Amino acid sequence: MSPDAVGNGALIPFSGETNDSLAVYPLHHGLARPISRVALSWSRGNSLRVSLFAEPSGSFDTGDGAKVIEVKLGGGDPEIDDADWRRIAYGSVAPFALLQSRRNSLSALSKSSYHLDWWEHVLQYSKDISSLLTGPKLAPNPIIEDPNEIVTKNEEPTCLKAAWELMEIFYVDKQSQAWLPEKLVDWLADYDSLFTSTQETIHGKLVDFQNDLVNIQVIEDDPRYWEVMSSALSVGWLDIVVKMLRLHGSYQIDQLSKRELENGLVEAVAVLISKMPRLRPESAAGNLGECFKSKPDFTKAWEKWRSQITKLDCSPYWIQCDNQQTREGLRNMLQVMLGNTENLCTASCYWIELYVSHFLYIRPFTTGIESMYNLAQKCIQLKTPTGTHRLTGLMIGILAENTEVVIAEISREFGPWMVAHAVELLTSGSEEAEILLHDERYNLGGISMVELHRLAYAQVLSSHALTWQIAPIYLTSCMKQGMGLLENLLYRQSVQHNNLLLKNIEICRLYELDHISSNIMKVAGVYHWKHGRKGAGVFWLQQSQDTNCLDRIAQQLFDSVGKSISDESFKQWEGLIELLGSESKPAGGLEFLHKYRDFKKSLQMVYSGKSTDAARQAVGSLILLMKNPSTPQRFWLPLLFDSLKLLNWKDSPLLSVSETNLLLNKLQELSLARQRPHFTEPNLPPQALSSIRLALATNLGRAILDE
Amino acid sequence: MAATANSETSQIHRFHQYKYVDAVRWLPVLSAFNRFAVLATSDFDSNLSFIEIHSFKPNPLSFDFQSSWTSPSPISSLKASQFLQNSIIAATTSSGSLHFLFADSTDATLQSEVSVPENELHSVSETCIDLMDGGVECVTVGDDGKVNLVTVGNSNLNYRRLFDSGGLVSYTAVKWASPVEFATGGYGFGLHWWDQRKPGGPVSQFKGNWDKNLNSGIVHSIDIHPSRKHTCLAGGSLGTVLAWDLRWQQQPIILSGTGAGDGAGNSAVQSISESEVWEVQYDRCIKSNTSSTRILPAMICSEDGILGVIEQGEEPIELLAEPCAINSFDIDQHNPLDVICSLEWESVAILTRQ
Repeated sequence: MSPDAVGNGALIPFSGETNDSLAVYPLHHGLARPISRVALSWSRGNSLRVSLFAEPSGSFDTGDGAKVIEVKLGGGDPEIDDADWRRIAYGSVAPFALLQSRRNSLSALSKSSYHLDWWEHVLQYSKDISSLLTGPKLAPNPIIEDPNEIVTKNEEPTCLKAAWELMEIFYVDKQSQAWLPEKLVDWLADYDSLFTSTQETIHGKLVDFQNDLVNIQVIEDDPRYWEVMSSALSVGWLDIVVKMLRLHGSYQIDQLSKRELENGLVEAVAVLISKMPRLRPESAAGNLGECFKSKPDFTKAWEKWRSQITKLDCSPYWIQCDNQQTREGLRNMLQVMLGNTENLCTASCYWIELYVSHFLYIRPFTTGIESMYNLAQKCIQLKTPTGTHRLTGLMIGILAENTEVVIAEISREFGPWMVAHAVELLTSGSEEAEILLHDERYNLGGISMVELHRLAYAQVLSSHALTWQIAPIYLTSCMKQGMGLLENLLYRQSVQHNNLLLKNIEICRLYELDHISSNIMKVAGVYHWKHGRKGAGVFWLQQSQDTNCLDRIAQQLFDSVGKSISDESFKQWEGLIELLGSESKPAGGLEFLHKYRDFKKSLQMVYSGKSTDAARQAVGSLILLMKNPSTPQRFWLPLLFDSLKLLNWKDSPLLSVSETNLLLNKLQELSLARQRPHFTEPNLPPQALSSIRLALATNLGRAILDE
Repeated sequence: MAATANSETSQIHRFHQYKYVDAVRWLPVLSAFNRFAVLATSDFDSNLSFIEIHSFKPNPLSFDFQSSWTSPSPISSLKASQFLQNSIIAATTSSGSLHFLFADSTDATLQSEVSVPENELHSVSETCIDLMDGGVECVTVGDDGKVNLVTVGNSNLNYRRLFDSGGLVSYTAVKWASPVEFATGGYGFGLHWWDQRKPGGPVSQFKGNWDKNLNSGIVHSIDIHPSRKHTCLAGGSLGTVLAWDLRWQQQPIILSGTGAGDGAGNSAVQSISESEVWEVQYDRCIKSNTSSTRILPAMICSEDGILGVIEQGEEPIELLAEPCAINSFDIDQHNPLDVICSLEWESVAILTRQ
């Protein structure tokens, strides 16, 4: 594909051979003239930066010549915006890292990669992640409960969380495997509202009915009242049904006496509903229904409960009940409870609701994924889906035990974060999935699918300024290509800002990438140096132990060092010299500055006082400086000129014969160097050289006499 | 190992901000009922930076947005203080401008703003400021090596340059010691002492032969206790926290740090962190009745996610251990049990100690 600029300003991607996948996105760039050149590059995150250059024009007043436009690709997730994705990304770091370290310590203990209790660790991980996926909190429930409020919500459900929990139920939670059908009932209760976007749902019907509730005079005369109740009953929302039954007009005090029998029937059904036996450990606090952990206990209670329903169904009271709506509505509900397929089919809106009602009232003992899959097929046939929802594809994939389909579904619907993290769930209990996902594949360039998806997610993290710091966690868990990409990522970060630079170096330290941090510090050093922050530059170059570079910048630095003792500007250098620290640290050519400073200090003392001791010390520093090969040649003459007073010391000669000879040799070297092309003449008075020569000669004579 | 504070002794509340939090401060206010925090935030999606005021209520818990001011570029340094009936917020930006915001002391509404444009005080560089307690004097330093003094009035401000190192020395931290003295920190754990009465450069430089055993680093934060103006507390790279007593210049007291090596007297130093100590403040909450020769307890926050208290010769106490960096914190002046900190992962945490 290559972009083509056309006259009207629209960018049209084209593929050459076929035209069927062509998509045109007009860009509003506002350039008056035709476009002559287009440049494309990646910007932050999913944004594409398009630079448009107009054809050059002769006159100045024809508008802008170029425009840069950022194009955001993909609409993103409609449920979760970018900032919320980042919150999820931050929160999933700790659970992911913990799980990886547990896996590593377990595999260090034994050779086998499959552990019996591994799923418990994954379950912990899954719960931690799941707690992050909660949508925005809704306003807290009012303190005074609204008697007419049927459906209550604590949080806005998200498809992301629904998908995650569905995978947790099927792949991880081994403990609840026996209660899998009941888990699905709970899952649907939490997330039925999500399906409202694509089809009619029981939740949607309930909400509509609740909204109309204020306009209804006699509730039991409204056919929707009975319809909604059977629907809610069919998917096991017992609390809601009982609460709605109690809204029945026969409960009103002024009517109780007239409708005693009718009220008795309503209450009998309400009691039966609230006593429904459930095959599950326990339900959430306050939920209706009686829970049984063991199958025999449940079977006993189940049979008893059904016989009670049958008994009520056959009771003669129905004939005496003169309210037809109530009679039919209640008996319809009894049929739902007895598992009448026809009634269940009418009560539910789409196949998952029908599926769940089958578990509740017809086949509570369904076990094994295969039989669950067959049942799902049957329900899909009975209720042919009108549209597809992002969760149904995933559900069918899970039930069909097709890991590839599951991966493809979650990747398409929920993106790289989901795949990178859900892979842990898929592999937690199944060796087959483990092999499928962890096998290195030739067609993926020798990496496994797990690594591929982690790398993809790490790329997403790396592309944003706020999340790149967590990408290393994922990259280091990729055995084959992770480290290479991590090095790339670290090199790519800007060195401009100290905080960012230090955070980058800290990551290098954590992963023991000393060679990278050293290079980054080198880059930072040169950057600061170039921008006039000499101290900062020297600091970073010193940290990176780059003596080469230090030597080179030393030459530039000396050009601006004060050239004479009287030069006040040398005071500024104090701070830099302090920064260089002790001599044990690499300072390259800058080492000279240290000795120079020591020499200047002792010289100052000589000028302020007259102590011979101070003078001797100064001479010591001078000799050290002149002997040191790192002392630049151009400083030799100024140094000697500064020391004239020492050379002409009145009381006694301060330099020995050999020392004087050394200095004379240096002078000789200098006069030779003067012949070379690039010699720079120091800025000294014209008679400086001769006065130094004279002083040295005098000193030599006095020293010889002394010795 | 550092001792971890019992969760019963403190309550931690986290508030996700959905944008990067550059710095946090408590706003000193007169009202006893309202608590306000100042946040410097950057929204990377819209490329806008703000100074925001949030009101904090512990019961029922809330951290509500009050008002905000849009900054021309991200905030690099933020300080808050009180001046007469106003709360005053001073901030420097990454483009080198300096801004003063005045907020009402009772309801914290932002009332007015005065500023110095970029390139007047500092060229584009990283800067640090300190606002004098209860005063209107502000000192700004930058890694361009400039030291400025800014005096702010109600609608005007005056500023003058105290020093310019020409980039030979970069400054990364500053703190007032008295109305005429302040301390600066920089690269190589360099600390300088300044006196406005003696212009032309720092009056004293922190030096000594100890650096042979200490890996070099950068000072990120300085604090000076009003009752002990001769001691300068500094925190920086490699988990280093040190106290520099002007009276014993050659011997810094190392309170924490991995770079400390096994130098004489420092062998017993425990390190609370191994990475950058981003901020250090004397912990006003602990009433230490130890002798005056000991350094007062100090609180730090670090790149490796530690918020803790260190005391000379004691085991450090961890108040918070986060999976991400804690970039700044502030202890409430009026209620020193409350600490607010900004976390790398776009959130703010408020810690209430019992």
